[in-house]
Amino acid sequence: MKRILILLGKIIVKLLHLMKRNAGNLPGIVLWHLTGHKCCSIFKVDCPIIAVTGTNGKTSVTNCIAQLFEKSGKKIIINREGNNLDTGICSMLLKYCDMSGKVKADYLILETDESHVPVVYSQLKLDTLVVLNFFRDQLDRNGEMETLIQKINGFCKTFEGNLILNGDDPNTARLGRANPKNTNVKYFRAEPYAFATHKIFEASEGRFCPFCGEPLEYEFYQYSHIGKFICKKCGFGNYEPYITASGIDLDKPVFTADGHTYSPKLNSIYNVYNMTAVAVAAKLYGIKQSVTEGVINNYTVKNGRMENFMLGDRKTTLNLAKNPVGANMTLRVMNEMKGEKELLFVLNDNIADGLDVSWIWDINFSIFERVTRVVTSGTRAYDIAVRIKCSGYDQSKIVVRPDLDKAVEELASTEGRKFVIANYTAVQPTRAALKRYIAKHGGKQE
Amino acid sequence: MKTIKILHMYADMLDLYGDSGNMEILKYRCTKRGIDCVVDTYSIDSEMPDFTSYDLIYIGGGADLEQQHISEDLLKCRDGIIRAYKNGTFLFLICGGYQLMGKYYRDADGNDIKGLGLFDYYTVAPNSRRKRCIGNIVIETEITGKPVKVVGFENHGGQTQGIKTPFGKVLYGNGNCSKSEAEGYCEKNVIATYLHGPCLAKNPEISDYMIEYCMNRGDEVITPLIPIDDKLEKECRKVMVHRLLK
Repeated sequence: MKRILILLGKIIVKLLHLMKRNAGNLPGIVLWHLTGHKCCSIFKVDCPIIAVTGTNGKTSVTNCIAQLFEKSGKKIIINREGNNLDTGICSMLLKYCDMSGKVKADYLILETDESHVPVVYSQLKLDTLVVLNFFRDQLDRNGEMETLIQKINGFCKTFEGNLILNGDDPNTARLGRANPKNTNVKYFRAEPYAFATHKIFEASEGRFCPFCGEPLEYEFYQYSHIGKFICKKCGFGNYEPYITASGIDLDKPVFTADGHTYSPKLNSIYNVYNMTAVAVAAKLYGIKQSVTEGVINNYTVKNGRMENFMLGDRKTTLNLAKNPVGANMTLRVMNEMKGEKELLFVLNDNIADGLDVSWIWDINFSIFERVTRVVTSGTRAYDIAVRIKCSGYDQSKIVVRPDLDKAVEELASTEGRKFVIANYTAVQPTRAALKRYIAKHGGKQE
Repeated sequence: MKTIKILHMYADMLDLYGDSGNMEILKYRCTKRGIDCVVDTYSIDSEMPDFTSYDLIYIGGGADLEQQHISEDLLKCRDGIIRAYKNGTFLFLICGGYQLMGKYYRDADGNDIKGLGLFDYYTVAPNSRRKRCIGNIVIETEITGKPVKVVGFENHGGQTQGIKTPFGKVLYGNGNCSKSEAEGYCEKNVIATYLHGPCLAKNPEISDYMIEYCMNRGDEVITPLIPIDDKLEKECRKVMVHRLLK
């Protein structure tokens, strides 16, 4: 039976390729129906599987961990296209398995959607689970945060493999207590960076101890609810980290982890956390230090995450913000920069964004410094304009241009430094609009 | 100059889908008119405030877990809130705040969370956690004296029944129950609704109704508010109404 299913799956993949269609999800959906919703159970995987999950940073960390092994000469399989649901993972494995369903590789590195961790890894044996963070993200699509954490917690109760957890996020660190028998729980933390605060800065989840309900006390907040917390009543938060990032200086940028100093290309606090998670995986799997350094120091992204463009001679930085945390980080980067600047905010409410845009009210716009003008665009251009206006920003300096090309023209019509924030489905159209502007008026993509 | 005093209850726990934005909007609209607006917060284990000293009491929505956390504490405030309400304090209640002012909230497992019983309605969550009323919603209310379309975002499992005076009639979306005709509950000094978004973001008339009520409490002659520029808010609503009702 399995052989027939695999053959069928492979035929669908082939057909879609011949039709030049995307085979990232459809073959998996067909098998999902034919297998009683267990489409990953048809594969036989003997090598270790490493899964990466969390709200922000999954793609970056998955890619870096894959590079650790690739650069060590191992054969790896990774879901690079970001198809991170059970059906996406199934579709990808169909391409690599033989007719008996055997998948041949040294390691499988799989970015996995938060809500699909229990689904996929009840069917495939997991060696290591990396959990980066849990933030409010597309709440209406995923259900409430607590439901999501409960699902993964349920999985962790019987999981005995390596569990790599962000020890500065109470939402993820709590998973470390799910299975008291699991001796392979590894926490990573980071010492405060220059912009860490003593007061919470942005709306967030997880203010209360999940075990006893007491308010959590923080020594410092790095951003959102990420920081050094402790429950004074039951001691939650009091554990020995496996690796702690220290000496963080984002101006250079530089940080130290486990006695080694790294000079990454990206200068955000989230990147420090992501790369610390990568360092944990590297240590756990005995990767050579020179390889780890190469990966962490050279990792950069070109997908609208702090991507630079020149619109004519105007330096422009584009950043994806799927949730308030991402947007608040960009605003901080803007504020930390001297001189005047302008912001373009592109907000869509397509299904993949979550139809609800109320998360923009959790963005702290009142911190705006030397922002001389704001342009808004996207299917919810007016919503973001109203939000910024109600934070006290001068309404006469807000320009609404729902059409993206017009919005970019508007942004580029004045001199000076520019920032662009775009949410999930807005980021690629925004990049395209920036490139069209450059093609027409000059400039470059860095 | 008169000051509007608002009490935002459980601001640190009940804040879903931008609910705290409602406070930012009320403050903004007062400031623009030179009205002083003070927002105090109350949460679990805070000192018991004098509820009657406030012009408006606001409670937002939260996840089930948070709602359970606060329900006991809220019962402690029962007498104070009832006294304030009878004394004319405005109650502005979203989602969880709305449900908890009714008789009870029966969760998906059949457990009852006791409400304040201030109003006769009650809420029952469906057995399946997957059955939720989620999405954009447009209602029409006449609370301000003339029909106004109100646009928001609803996300609730609970089905609220036993309401005679709803906040508005549903033009798009679900309302109090799955596919129902009525949304929320209202009285002269009460707006209770499932609308998040936040509720006031693109509905300036509703904000102003509350501000005007607070400004004129106990006065014989009603002084209307000075109009302010609502161009962006109205355009924002127009775009959504057009998209959803076309």
